Amino acid sequence: MSTPNQTEDQPRLLVALQDLDQMIREVEDKETSAELEAMGFSLDGVEKIREAREKICSRIKPQLLNRYQRVARNLDRTVVPVVNELCTGCFAKVPTSFRYEKGAVLTCENCGRMLYFT
Amino acid sequence: MMPNELASYFKDSLCICDLKATSKVDALSEMVDAICTSRAIKDKGIILEMLLNRESLGSTAIAPGVAFPHGRSLAVPDLTIVFARSESGVEFDAVDKKSTHVFFLIIAPPQDRDNLYLQVLGQIVNLVRDDAARKAFARVATYEELQQLIGSQSE
Repeated sequence: MSTPNQTEDQPRLLVALQDLDQMIREVEDKETSAELEAMGFSLDGVEKIREAREKICSRIKPQLLNRYQRVARNLDRTVVPVVNELCTGCFAKVPTSFRYEKGAVLTCENCGRMLYFT
Repeated sequence: MMPNELASYFKDSLCICDLKATSKVDALSEMVDAICTSRAIKDKGIILEMLLNRESLGSTAIAPGVAFPHGRSLAVPDLTIVFARSESGVEFDAVDKKSTHVFFLIIAPPQDRDNLYLQVLGQIVNLVRDDAARKAFARVATYEELQQLIGSQSE
């Protein structure tokens, strides 16, 4: 198990984690998985996806991972980018004090989602 | 989604008629490069990693000579499709163990209108259900030919 690297891009890891969680949700959703299997796709490797998820989690700083897990309980899209000074989850304007900072993870004051700058 | 809408999701800048790669990772990487250039996306790694993780769930090369790499990623702003064709073929862990020559790569953001992603994926899989269609896609040499073929197959 690796430990979080202080220089690693945390927003990038959070987005990758969210992509994996979405993949796992689709496999676990009976309707979606039935549709994919009817097309001919095999979804047998979900354990490998869970392993990849654990590896990513081990690279995320604990306080950010806790925040992610807390927000993810209530919202599908937990991590979203700031685009044109808007939270792309709820489209509320972010405060002007939110300025681009590489690697920063902020919180939307309106919906609570985790925000990052692209 | 109407069947004749499908062609509108294919873009000239995301049509690769001479894929150079011969391995799975390189083929996905070449297609993701096209997305990043076309859509001005900075982080290629996130998309590539998601697609490779999706492949570990089960190979998407499910039709003879054809693969459908797909998944959802926040890295793309809307539904994005890459068509790619390889003359020499790619080792893509196909179900039939043969080389893959035709690729339809589909990526959608986590939430999209009316679950368009699954509808589009289903229509694309249906496009190549028969052997004649698969052979026709394997011969596509230009974006115009691709558009014509999708149009005729969707009718």
